[in-house]
Order: sequence, then C-alpha cells, then structure tokens
Amino acid sequence: MLAQLPISSLVTWGLATLLTLILLGRIVWLGQYRDYPLFTGYLACNLLQTVVGVYLYRRYGFSSKSGFRIGWTTQAFVVVARALAATEMCRHVLGKFRGIWAMASRILVICGALVFVAAMYFGRSGYKFAVMTLEIGLESFIATWVVGLFCFARYYHVKIPETIRMLGLGLGLHSVVKVLNDVVFERLVKAYLIEWNYVATSGFLAVLAIWVWGFWRPVEAGVSQPATSAPNVYWELMPQVNRRLLELNEQLGQLWRTEPRRP
Amino acid sequence: MNHVFFFVAVIFALGLALLLFWALRGVSSRKGVNEGLEILEKAPRHVGNMSQIRQALDEADLQFAAEKGGPVLAARMRLERRHVMLLYLAAMRRDFDKLLRIARIVALLSPEVSSSHEFDRLRLSAIFRMRFEWTKLRLLMGSYVLPQTDMLGQMVATLATQTEMAMVRLGERAALAAELAVQSER
Repeated sequence: MLAQLPISSLVTWGLATLLTLILLGRIVWLGQYRDYPLFTGYLACNLLQTVVGVYLYRRYGFSSKSGFRIGWTTQAFVVVARALAATEMCRHVLGKFRGIWAMASRILVICGALVFVAAMYFGRSGYKFAVMTLEIGLESFIATWVVGLFCFARYYHVKIPETIRMLGLGLGLHSVVKVLNDVVFERLVKAYLIEWNYVATSGFLAVLAIWVWGFWRPVEAGVSQPATSAPNVYWELMPQVNRRLLELNEQLGQLWRTEPRRP
Repeated sequence: MNHVFFFVAVIFALGLALLLFWALRGVSSRKGVNEGLEILEKAPRHVGNMSQIRQALDEADLQFAAEKGGPVLAARMRLERRHVMLLYLAAMRRDFDKLLRIARIVALLSPEVSSSHEFDRLRLSAIFRMRFEWTKLRLLMGSYVLPQTDMLGQMVATLATQTEMAMVRLGERAALAAELAVQSER
C-alpha cells in the first residue's frame, strides 16, 4: 500500500523518522529529557504517529474514512504535544524572570487567542476542511507564541543558550510552514495533495535537522537564574523613568515648532 | 476559503518567519550582561560637556570669527560646528539608550512588572527615537537646532540624575550590580 506513494515522499518520510529516532536517542543518551520532558514527549508522540500511520495505511488504504479520522486524531495529539513543548521552551527562556514572564505570558496568550479565533472565523470553509482550519488556527497560535517570546527576549536583552534558540527556531518555522502548506492546500485541494504531503514532510525534515544541530552538544538547560530585586525598586523607579520620557517627548514635540536659530 | 483570507494568511505566516529570524538574530548577538554592569557604574557622561558644547555653539562666536577671520574661517567653523553637533547628538542617544537599558534590567530582575509601564516606555522610546532622527535630519540639512539639542541634553541629563538617585535611594544598586556580575560569570 505504501508503494502507492511517490518515491520522494517515502524517502523524506523515512529520513524524518530516522532523524527523529537519532534526536530522541541523543536526548535520552545525554539525559536532556530531564530538562526537556515535554519536547521529548513530543518527539515520542511523533514516532508513535508514524507507527500508527503505517499501520492505518497498510490496513485501510489512503482513501478510507476510518484511516482519515484516526490519522487526523493522532495529528491533534501531535499538535497539542508540540504546543506543550513550545510552552516548556518559553518557561526556559523567560520563566526565571518572574515579572516579565507573568506579563509576557498574558500578552502572548491574548495575541495567540486572537490569531486563533481570527483563523477559525475567517478561514472557515465548511465541514470538509474543518480539521485543516483547526490546524491552521493552532499552528498560528504556536507560531505567534514562539515569535512573540523571542521578541520579548530581544527587547529585554535576555541571552538565550543556543539549544533553546535552535529549539525555538524549529518550533516557529515548523508552525509557519504548516500554516502556509495548509492554506495553499485549502485553496488548490486535490491538485496539491501530493505536494502538500511532500512539503509537510520536507519541512519537518529541515526542522529536525535544526533540532539535531541544537541538541548535539550538551549545554545548559536555560537562561541563568537571576536573584530578583525587591518589588518596590520597580514600582518606584519605573513611573519616574516613564514620566521623564513622556516629558522628554512632549518637549521634543514642542521643539519641532520652534524656529531654529540661524547663524 | 476566500481570497482575502488566503493572502492575509500567507503574509501573516511570512511576516512571522521574518520576525522570528530578526528576534533570534537579536538574542544571539547580545553583548551579554557585562554591558549592564558598565551602565550601572557609569552615569551618562555627555552632561559634563554641556557647557563646552553650548559655548561652541554660541552664535556670537561665529559672528566674531566671521568679522575677524573672514568668511572662509566662518564657513570652516560652521562645518566643524555641525560635526560637533552630530557627535553630541550621537552621545545623547547613547546616554538615552543606557538609561533605557537600566530600566530593562530593573524590570527583568523585578518579581512584578506592570504591562502598562512597560508598554509606555516602549512607546515613548519609539517616539523619542523618531523625533530624535528628525532633529538629526534637520541638522544634516543645514538647521543648527541649538535650542532642540540643548533642551534634549538637559532632559536626558535630568532623567539620568533622577534614575540614578532613585536607585541609590532604594539601596538596590549594589545588589543589582552583584547579581549582574554573577549572571555574567555563568
């Protein structure tokens, strides 16, 4: 039954499975599963999905309804596992900065939820594509979350270890590729079916390569733990800084209207 | 699926990818927390040169040079004066950035932060930069903008002084610096 698939799809599928196994083995070998339990779980979930997929296609074929339903159900588990892995990564990056993390997580959840709702509402195309629309929404949520997190990290000059950078790059790119791939598929439908599968697997292959690169050397788990200052430092200092900035801007605005002196 | 959603979704996804690379490039090329220590140790320094800058930009000086030394000397002085002003503007911007960096470090180390304060600072610094660039552009185009620069310098100086005073008064500066030192060693 698998022989019905194009050889390129089979090769990429096989390579992706192999790379997942290598990555998982490496993480277990180095004991990094203790620092990244949810990401390890996500990889295991992926492997399990591959096993279930092979079984389904061999038993029911590619066009059976049962195979379709079970296949997409397993995909839901994988997406949820990836979302949890993304949350784990976020905690590694900003979790130790309690104040910033509390603020950033709230903002990111709101932004992600807005994107998700917008994708579900404006992207609805009937029952036929409901699962795919749901996937677009979830992937958009994950991508927004990951990208937003790194924007926060950049703004606050948080130095992030390479492993986490690679993990984040992989998670973000994977979601972006998924969104693009699904959106194009919904538009072209059958004409894009083979390419859709190929692009999805190739994209995952590239992301796996990034993760293997990132996890190859044993490194620190996350951002170093800072000792937090007393809360009153922030609450007394920030209003002053912001007030001065506001005055500065107001005066600059007024200065625009000042006729410059000429020699 | 309608066309608008398709295009919006594609642009959104590509935009996110670009933003991801931009943000990651930023966090990988940070100078680290050593820079933070330096900031805490050195208050903005352009303030000390304020009186010399004002003296150098005095209109009477230029007029005096034109009368005594001729138009060639006056033109040369004008060019040098513009160069000095540009350097001074750059120094002011560096000072401003340092102050913002202090605010960020304090926010990072605080167990509680206010999103409204943080957003305000982000918005105000964006506006400041925009106006600052405009002032610089005017200078490059031939305006001498002495009043703007003078007041801008005073404002940055006041901000620096107040920030510094607040930090000293709260008795947290040493703790912050020590913490940053520990972080930089890790």
